[in-house]
Amino acid sequence: MTQENETPRLRLTAVSKRFGAVRAIQHADLTVRAGQVHALVGENGAGKSTMIKIVAGAEQSDTGEIEWDGSPVRIGSTTDAIALGIATVYQEPQLFPELTVAENIFLGKEIKSRGKVDWSAQNTKVVELLELLGLPAKYATATVGDLSIAEQQQVSIAKALSGDAKVLILDEPSAILTDAEIETLFTVVRRLTASGVSVIYISHRLDELFRIADEVTVMRDGRTIGTYPIGELSVRQIAHLMVGEELSDERPHREVPEGPAVLELHGLTRTGKFRDVDVSVRAGEIVALYGLVGSGVSEIAASCYGIEPATSGIIKINGSEQKPRSPEHAQKLGIALLPANRKVEGMFGFQSIAFNISAGHLKLLSKLGIFVDRGREKVVALDMIKRLAVRTPHERQPISAMSGGNAQKVVLARQLVERPKVLILAEPTQGVDVGAKEEIHRLITELAEEGTAVLVVTSDLPEALRIADRIQVVRGGTTTEEFGPDAKQVDLLAAAAGGSE
Amino acid sequence: MTITEAPPVKAQRKKPDLARIFLTQRIPLLAVLIVIVVVTFFINDAGGYLTAPYDFDYMSASLISAVPLAMLGLAEMLVILSGRGGIDLSVGAIVSLAGMIFGFAYGEWGWPLWLAIIATAGFGALLGAVNGFLVSYIGFPALIATLATFYAYKSIAIVINNQQPISTEPIQQLFSLTRSVELPIIGQYIPDVPLGIFTFLLPTVVAVWLLLARTAYGRRLYGIGTNDVAARWAGLPVRDTRFKAYVYAGLISGLVAVVTVAQFASARPDAGVSGNGMALPAITIAVLGGVAITGGIGRVAGVVLATLLIVWLNAGILLAFVGNEGSQYQLLALGAVLVFAALLNGLTNRKYGGAQ
Amino acid sequence: MSLLKERTKPRVLTNPVTGQEIVLVGVIAVLWVALAVSTPAFLTAGSIQPLLVATAPIALVGVGMTIVIITGGIDVSVGGAIMVCSVITAKALVGSGVSLGVAVLISLLAGGVLGLVNGVLIAYGRVHAIIITFGTANIFMFLGLQIFGSGTVNGIPATLAFFGRGEDGRTLGIPHAFLVTILITAACWWYLRHTAGGRHFYAIGGDAQAARLAGVRVQRRVLLAYVITGLLVGLASCFVIAQGTSTLDQSVGSGKELAVIAAVVIGGTSIMGGRGSVLGTLLGALLVQTVSSGVTQLGWRSQLSDLFVGIFIIVAVGADLLRARARRSSR
Repeated sequence: MTQENETPRLRLTAVSKRFGAVRAIQHADLTVRAGQVHALVGENGAGKSTMIKIVAGAEQSDTGEIEWDGSPVRIGSTTDAIALGIATVYQEPQLFPELTVAENIFLGKEIKSRGKVDWSAQNTKVVELLELLGLPAKYATATVGDLSIAEQQQVSIAKALSGDAKVLILDEPSAILTDAEIETLFTVVRRLTASGVSVIYISHRLDELFRIADEVTVMRDGRTIGTYPIGELSVRQIAHLMVGEELSDERPHREVPEGPAVLELHGLTRTGKFRDVDVSVRAGEIVALYGLVGSGVSEIAASCYGIEPATSGIIKINGSEQKPRSPEHAQKLGIALLPANRKVEGMFGFQSIAFNISAGHLKLLSKLGIFVDRGREKVVALDMIKRLAVRTPHERQPISAMSGGNAQKVVLARQLVERPKVLILAEPTQGVDVGAKEEIHRLITELAEEGTAVLVVTSDLPEALRIADRIQVVRGGTTTEEFGPDAKQVDLLAAAAGGSE
Repeated sequence: MTITEAPPVKAQRKKPDLARIFLTQRIPLLAVLIVIVVVTFFINDAGGYLTAPYDFDYMSASLISAVPLAMLGLAEMLVILSGRGGIDLSVGAIVSLAGMIFGFAYGEWGWPLWLAIIATAGFGALLGAVNGFLVSYIGFPALIATLATFYAYKSIAIVINNQQPISTEPIQQLFSLTRSVELPIIGQYIPDVPLGIFTFLLPTVVAVWLLLARTAYGRRLYGIGTNDVAARWAGLPVRDTRFKAYVYAGLISGLVAVVTVAQFASARPDAGVSGNGMALPAITIAVLGGVAITGGIGRVAGVVLATLLIVWLNAGILLAFVGNEGSQYQLLALGAVLVFAALLNGLTNRKYGGAQ
Repeated sequence: MSLLKERTKPRVLTNPVTGQEIVLVGVIAVLWVALAVSTPAFLTAGSIQPLLVATAPIALVGVGMTIVIITGGIDVSVGGAIMVCSVITAKALVGSGVSLGVAVLISLLAGGVLGLVNGVLIAYGRVHAIIITFGTANIFMFLGLQIFGSGTVNGIPATLAFFGRGEDGRTLGIPHAFLVTILITAACWWYLRHTAGGRHFYAIGGDAQAARLAGVRVQRRVLLAYVITGLLVGLASCFVIAQGTSTLDQSVGSGKELAVIAAVVIGGTSIMGGRGSVLGTLLGALLVQTVSSGVTQLGWRSQLSDLFVGIFIIVAVGADLLRARARRSSR
């Protein structure tokens, strides 16, 4: 392989970055060699994305040094980064669906001759790029909107490479791909490294690193723990480095009452998303479905709530089989769901707290089924504000003016107005500050104590461990292993990230 | 570990910033503009620059033109509130076609007035339901669906009676609906008010206000207009709610058809589409009244005040210019006020993050 | 062939003609045949020539409107703008007896200025295009009526007969107005398809923010779209005057904005922006005019043609919606 004394393509030394009072990364190091795949791993919030943004020029480090081919450089903007030869492919393809692949790649930097776009010249270059990536040349003239998500991602990679990139950052490229598509992606990555391009590869799926990465840098709590040749580690060891020494969590042991399951999923399947999912939740129990982004875990939640009905399998509520057709129907069955994407799926932006809480319960909160009972609405809203400790001057405050944690509490309050039998919480504390996170966790436990069956769908490992009575790991679209509340983070992570050696 | 981020301490409430209030809150702004307009014309009147006196009697009489304008403004508000580019270009065509139906029912078939009015409103609602079905259930962009139905309704309205207006005896007598009446008890102290205000406009205003501000349906409508993805996740009937917005808009247009027939004393096949049509001014009123074209924001009071502003401005302009100059300057006023309001919205969005 | 060209050039572009355009050609052909069979007078020069002349102004403004809609905007002020341009030009013809070239220049200039006003307000005021153009529509109508003064413009000389219905307006039997429209449509088609600037219109309609990040000068492009529309309105106004009698009345341009949008939409341009073709718009305008002319020749009420326009819009856009839905679900 490479020699230690060779000049690295890119080296970051002792880089630190703060956002306000939060230290996103401190004294982090990263060394990327030419023609190598360098994996960057860490849990959510470990500082991976800040690190990448600094390399890509989207953020500037407060302290620390960056070297490019051995000489110090300053990456002050994305333009600087691109000029150096650093290209980034984000998870969601940023393409124009109505334009062809070639046009997308050359948008804003068209090759022109005599005033018109030189399609043949562009096409030749695109075909070269596609060949380099091992993709069919016919893609060049295909309309991007006609391609699959995986193909669009490959186009994004081609676009990134069109500017003669020397370092390519792939931000969780596999999260949205199927296994076969991941294989194609790897072929593309291998071809690139063979031609001398360095790849910084970010992934939650640890198992795949062993097939593609040369070196891996592990991050935890904003620090780089170390860089290792991939061959020296196992999935378990990486997982261990990621989670560190476990603090003894003084989590009080909770007695879950015996009884029949309130929510049961048997062999639940939605073609192309997840298959054969088996989960059961009793009254008063908190079960976590823990899986990485792209494991299908969020789609399972959406199916139980009638957003994307399952194609086969059985959902039972209190022992009787049900098929939730729509969120309305699911609510009638006693299922409530806290959506994962608060801004898009949860919040009515410029409307008041009271509005946000009563939406979806208007039948209950109305007189004669027609008029909103504003007195009761206010009582309910104030009650919820108090119960969930929402910090706000009054219930008429627009939700868009609130912090993430407070807004999340308001959206959660909406799920509690009519006491649900089953409460599904998708990523309940994403983008929420530490204090509010504690409060939301305490509230979830309280709800379970009162007899609600709680299913927490999460990709946040400590969260799953902190609140769940049982943890079901979802990997590759299906439930795999089950863990108890005293499981070790390492084991869970290894199970979810695919380290069953 | 890292330091916990303290929640940002809200700056001490500053003393009310007048510029901010007028920029972010449409209703005070409109109220001030109305005062400015009225005072300006009073001064002009006192100076003898007007062709006829601009006084309370005149202002009150001019309100008759506020009836169709405000009602259609409210209809547009309902569909614009529903979000997803909601708009209704067909309201004028519905007025024409429903007006012809009213002409047949009341003028030719001799139905009782109340039944004819209900039938006309119901027919308007049916025409609105076609729009709602296309937009909400099939997924047409509202602009396209209502452009298509505008053409279709307009054409049917003209063809249905061989291009002939219906102005039989009963229809001609309806003109009395537009007369001004003295109000009981307080009537001696205030000017006479056009009857249409009480028979059509006020009931519509109250009904729409109740619908939007007090009913569960109104909540749902604001909900889907604010964020229709979140509305779906909250279990709101998104399609049904949006569909009904178009139905209600059609229903109001049907009522306007009756008013229009009364005003012309004739059911004219091109009543709602002649010249510039009725949709353009109605959309203008709604936008001026603070309804956000992106949905979810808008109040009845805003639309009513915007109507008063335009009606009294127009009434003054008619007196300030001789002949048809006046009606031309009304176009200028409408256009200029709309561009001004739109630019103000744009500025507000950038500076204060949106109007209320 | 292969001897002339050593290597076969790879196909580097998408199809020059869209499915919608082929369907439109088919529908127009079927209508023409059906009309020819039912009314023998239809397929005569005396019937086709006026049809082409009448298609020209709508198609021409439609070309500009197509570009505007591709960028994700809309312009409902074209009716008012036609009024301003035609009354200015008509007055110049009557008052100063200007020549054909000067008249066209005046009209172009007037249209360009009006387009510039729209463009500046929309591109730099960052307000939704439909609201701004509703506003400017009123202002343009005010201007138009002011210039009209009282009543009509009478005694317009036949200076613009080159674009008219008469003998002077044709070469080899083809009306000049239609010929000019074809040429301009072709030029815009080429511009939109083959130049970087033209492609940028599509990128802006697809995602203006992403286009800006890719280095597209979004504001300038948007401004240009409205100015082009204004210029085409100017030229179309000359056609309108030429087609009319020696009298221009105040209803000129009224309702034209919706007729133009209808032609654009029937031609397959997406109102959401990012997709569309000026060729489709030309065909859309031709279809609408065919129906309107057919309805009259069949002895039906002329207003019935509007009903067909409504139905065409629903069918054209509805088919597109179903196609998009099928495409999504096949993923």
